[in-house]
Amino acid sequence: MTFDSNAFLIILTGTLIAISCGFLGVFMMLRKMSMTGDAISHAVLPGIVIGYFVSGSQRSLEVIIGAGLLGILATLMIEGLRKKAKVQLDASIGITFTLLFAIGIILINMFAYKVDLDQECVLYGEIAYLPIDLWITKSGLNLGPRITWLAGLNLLFVGVFIYLLFKELVLTSFDENFSSVMGIPAKGVNLALMSMVSYTTVSSFESVGAILVVALLAVPPATAFLWTKSLNSLLKLTAALAILISVLGYYLAFWMDSSIAGMMVTVAGGFFLASALIKGKKPSWFKGTPKESKPLGI
Amino acid sequence: MVTQIENPVLEIHDLTVSYDQTPVLWNVDFSLPAGKLIGILGPNGAGKSTLIKAIMGLIPPTSGYVKIFDKPINDVRARISYVPQRESVDWNFPASVLDVVLMGTYGKLGLFKRPGRKEKELAMECLEQVGMTGFVNRQISELSGGQQQRVFIARALAQQADLYLMDEPFAGVDMATETAIFQLLRDMASSGKTVLVVHHDIHSAMNFFDWVIMLNLHLVASGPKSEVMTEELLRKTYGGKLNLLTKVTDLISKKEFNPLKS
Repeated sequence: MTFDSNAFLIILTGTLIAISCGFLGVFMMLRKMSMTGDAISHAVLPGIVIGYFVSGSQRSLEVIIGAGLLGILATLMIEGLRKKAKVQLDASIGITFTLLFAIGIILINMFAYKVDLDQECVLYGEIAYLPIDLWITKSGLNLGPRITWLAGLNLLFVGVFIYLLFKELVLTSFDENFSSVMGIPAKGVNLALMSMVSYTTVSSFESVGAILVVALLAVPPATAFLWTKSLNSLLKLTAALAILISVLGYYLAFWMDSSIAGMMVTVAGGFFLASALIKGKKPSWFKGTPKESKPLGI
Repeated sequence: MVTQIENPVLEIHDLTVSYDQTPVLWNVDFSLPAGKLIGILGPNGAGKSTLIKAIMGLIPPTSGYVKIFDKPINDVRARISYVPQRESVDWNFPASVLDVVLMGTYGKLGLFKRPGRKEKELAMECLEQVGMTGFVNRQISELSGGQQQRVFIARALAQQADLYLMDEPFAGVDMATETAIFQLLRDMASSGKTVLVVHHDIHSAMNFFDWVIMLNLHLVASGPKSEVMTEELLRKTYGGKLNLLTKVTDLISKKEFNPLKS
C-alpha cells in the first residue's frame, strides 16, 4: 500500500479535533455538563452568522469571537434559568440552545443573499474536502490544508489551557463550594472552560460539523470512564480512543463510501457499547468490597 | 440565652438568610471565642448548614453581617477551612485519596502552580492524623462512608487554617471513628484553633463540646456548654421532638435495654 497523503491529512485532522474535544469533554463529563457541550455547539450559530456578517468571511477572527461570546451567553443563560427561574437543568439546556439556534437560522435566512453559509455546512461539515482547501501564503507558498492548521492550533490552546488550569479545573469539578471558600473562582473557571468549548466547536464545525462535535465531546470520555478511575489515565485513554476512532472511522467510510465524520462517531458509539457490555457483565462482587479501615489508634 | 465575647474569632450580627423570600434564619446574633470546640445543635431544617454556608459567604445574607478575625470573609479566606457534607460531592470522581487531600493546599498555592513535594509531605501528615496513611493511593470511589469523611477532614487539615467549619462530619461514621475524630478536634482546639461543628446528636454533644450554639430558625442559645445545656433550652430548640429523645434515653438507661442482645 502506498502512502496516501490525503488519507493521512484527513486522519491527522480528525485525530487533532477528536483529542481537543475529548480533553474538554472529560472535564465536561466530570462536571455533569456533557449536555451543556451540546447546547453550546448549537448556540454558537448566531455568533458565527453575526461574525460572518461583520467580517464578510467564514474564516475570520470575528467568527471565532462571535461564537465564543455566544457560547458564554448560552452558559450564562443555562445557569441563570436554573438558579434564578428554578428551571431544571435539562429543561434550561433545552430552552437555551433551541432558542439561540433558531435565532441563528433566522439570521442565516435574513442575510442569506449576502452570506455563503447554510445550516447544512454548520451542522454536518465535510472533512473529505479538507485536502483541497489549502492555506496558501501571499508569496504563493503552499502550507497544506487550512483546517489541519486550525485543528492543530486548537489542540495547542486546549492543551495549554488544561495544563495551566489543571488543578483549578479538577477542584471546581469535584467540589465547587470548597473551591469558593478557598477563594478560587468556580464561576470564572467554568466560564473559561465553556469559552474553550465554544472555540473548539467553531474551529471544528467546518470539518466535522456541530452535531458530531457533540459526539466527540461526550462519547470518548464516557467510554474511557468505564475503564479507569484515575484522571490521568482517563485523559490518556480518551486521547488513544480519539486516534483509534479517526483511523477506523476513515477507513470504514472509505470502504463503505460514506461520510467520514459520521463513521467516526459511529465507531465511537461502537466502542462505547462494547465497553458498556464488557464492564456491565462484570458482577459487582468481582472487585471485592473495600478493605475495612482500622479505627484510629488513640 | 446568648453569651457575647470580647475580641471574638467570629462575630455574627443580626444575620437573616432567605431562600426565595422565605427566611430560613432570623436575626441570628452571636460571637465566638478562640480555641474552643463549638457545636451547632438543632433539629432537621433548623438552618444549621445554612448558617455555616452564610458564614463562608456561599449564601448571601438578606441582612446583617459576618466578621471573621474582625475582618470581612474575603480578607481572611486563607485562614478558614471547610468540611462540606459528605453527600455534597460525587465520590465516583476519578481521584485518589492523596489527590483530594492535596486540594486543601490549593488555596495557598495560587494560580497555575502545582502542588510539589512540600505539599505532598503536608498531605501525608494530615492523612496520618486521621489514620488513613494506608489508603494514600486508593481511588476515592472505593472508600467507605467513614473513610470518605476522614479524607475530607484530612483535606481541611491540609488547609492549615485557624477557623474550621464542619458540616455534619459524623454522619454515617461509626462510634470508634467518631470518638477518634472528636479527640483530634479537641487537640486542634487546645492548640488554639477554633472548630465549629454542625452536629445532631445531643448525647455526644454533652461530652465533647466546650461551647454550644442552639438553633431553630432563630438563635435559641449560644454559650459555654455548662450554661446552655439545660432542659429548658433544649426543649425550646427541639420542641416536642425532645420528649421522644429523652424517653428513649431513659428507657435505655433504666432497663439496660440493648436491641442487639435481645
